[in-house]
Amino acid sequence: MNTEMKLQALLDGELDARETREIEALLTQDTKSAALMQELKWTKGAMVGNEAEVKLPESREFFWSKIQRGIEAGEKQAAAAPAGRAWWLKLLYPATGLAAMVAVMFVVSGGRTTDDADSESVPEDVNAVSFRSESEKMSVVYVADENGNFSPVSEEVKNAPEADK
Amino acid sequence: MPQPTDYTTTLDVQLVAASQAGDMPAFEELVARHRDKIYARAFSMMRNEEEAIDLAQEAWVKAWQRLKQFQGDSSFATWMTRIVINLCLDQLRRQKRTRAESIEQLDEELGGVERQMPVVASNPTEGLERAELRKRIDKAMTQLSYEHRTVLILHEFEEMEYKQIAKVMNCSIGTVMSRLFYARRRLASLLQSLKKEQQS
Repeated sequence: MNTEMKLQALLDGELDARETREIEALLTQDTKSAALMQELKWTKGAMVGNEAEVKLPESREFFWSKIQRGIEAGEKQAAAAPAGRAWWLKLLYPATGLAAMVAVMFVVSGGRTTDDADSESVPEDVNAVSFRSESEKMSVVYVADENGNFSPVSEEVKNAPEADK
Repeated sequence: MPQPTDYTTTLDVQLVAASQAGDMPAFEELVARHRDKIYARAFSMMRNEEEAIDLAQEAWVKAWQRLKQFQGDSSFATWMTRIVINLCLDQLRRQKRTRAESIEQLDEELGGVERQMPVVASNPTEGLERAELRKRIDKAMTQLSYEHRTVLILHEFEEMEYKQIAKVMNCSIGTVMSRLFYARRRLASLLQSLKKEQQS
């Protein structure tokens, strides 16, 4: 920040204590800076509380009627927008349900993996994910809701350990 | 038949709460109370009556739509003023994009012009009646570019700090400081010219 900006910042109370001391010291020694500071003070002082008074050149009733129309138009627009979204979502619901069923059938049929490795299946264009662990002898299906959050809908445990029986 | 509620003595906070609950007559009372201030801010920034009326109206519609977001951290009038300031700035930016900039504006943006201005040696507003002072300030403000006028309005009339202005104007604090410095120096020079005009 150069000296001129610091002078202005001092006037506006935007300098920290150290810089304030520095600029105040400068003002006692440098007449040019002191003159500039005086000019800035006059301008600032002249403006305080001296904004031109302006009144809205329309009657209360007329101005309000325009606002009311604007509000109503906005509400009509807002009401139309969710309806459009709902139309799209309605198309997606059967597809999501079908996807979930396919995913569940895929898991229940089992035997897709031939080794003991854990596997995760993410079919394309399906909002569901299945997880199968051969070592744990379990499968879990997660289905996404409309916000894309996955939650388990099906869990199958085969050959549960003896201790649990 | 139920009588319409008389809101003339109701506090702003109560009117806001009622409006947030969907009470339109309460909102109408808020409009009636603050419409001049909101229009005045729009006019001071746009310097055009028709545009200022349109933007003030748009600000009130937006306020109704966003009333639920108003938490009462500031006064309702301050919150409303911020809405109209933002709308005016958007409009001014759009206008600037479609307008060729003058050499003077470019100089202002680049900085340095203010350093060549001689310092005003006597108070250019000394002894003026308040009405005359307001008139002269208003006249001088019209001769500033919108960036310089806006920074002065936000700092001197809205009493915003540098960082708040930077946020509203979407620029750095350094830019705010240099615009404010230029605007003040130019205003001092314009006020001095007006004083000389009157004396001659």
